Amino acid sequence: MIQNAVEADATQIELTIRETSEIFEFELKDNGKGMSRETQMKALDPFFSNGHKHAHRRVGLGLPFLFQTAEAAGGRAEIESQEGEGTIIRFQAQAQHMDMPPFGDFPSTAAMMLTLIPNGEMTITKTRNDEGYTVSRSELEETLGDLRTAENLRLIKTYIASQENDLRKAG
Amino acid sequence: MAKLTLMDLRKLRDGKKIAMSKRSAEGKRAEVVIGMGTCGIAAGAKAVFDAFLDEMEKAGITDVTIKQTGCMGLCFSEPTVEVICDDMPHVVYGNVDDKTARRIVRDHLEGKALVNDHIFDKPSTDIIKTAGK
Repeated sequence: MIQNAVEADATQIELTIRETSEIFEFELKDNGKGMSRETQMKALDPFFSNGHKHAHRRVGLGLPFLFQTAEAAGGRAEIESQEGEGTIIRFQAQAQHMDMPPFGDFPSTAAMMLTLIPNGEMTITKTRNDEGYTVSRSELEETLGDLRTAENLRLIKTYIASQENDLRKAG
Repeated sequence: MAKLTLMDLRKLRDGKKIAMSKRSAEGKRAEVVIGMGTCGIAAGAKAVFDAFLDEMEKAGITDVTIKQTGCMGLCFSEPTVEVICDDMPHVVYGNVDDKTARRIVRDHLEGKALVNDHIFDKPSTDIIKTAGK
């Protein structure tokens, strides 16, 4: 999804993840080029890809997978987008649903997400019940310098792991 | 582990920097590009990313940049990893798992020898045009 935003020339990407014991939800907002209503509908079709990146490809699975997961796990997903302004993707599901996929290793995923956008700002806000933290690419860059070195990617992982640990203790 | 602040992070970085400047006297840089499209992630690219970070730490390699890219058009041989290294041919490796990632660090980045059994010939043409500079 974030790769989609980057390819839509977004310079600002905000990911907000909210977790409680019952609900898992996230919102991903970008200021990329957005999609027309028609493209939004097509984006949900697994046999659609805009063809810009891979000329002969007819399959695009990112958003269809997301919608399928939301529905399978007792929730829903939606796209809100305006051409020229950007896109918001919302996802909500029941955290304990048996079809909810495991969340995986967040520090490593977050480190990848934060360093994916080549030029621009990416922020991740994560809350669990009432506690939370925000981490932004710009503050990490200011602190560490070039974020793409193996050394700094490891430090970002350590940093996010410590925030996650703190959240787990609190919640 | 106590919750780190940005200040702690800076201190950690500075500590590592001293160790780093002692090691990288050669000053040569390499770049590892990992395919992180839906296909790459489904095939285990995240584990590969972690394996690269971990093995580079063990090998004491600090002057390598890790980048991510979307699907390279080689979904059938994901996870794919492109290695651009001074004095070495530009290579795309296919079907890379944790173990292969560690071999790439040890053999290719450190030992300057290709990991022959995982070489994938060439990426799709749009990638060659843009990434080939």
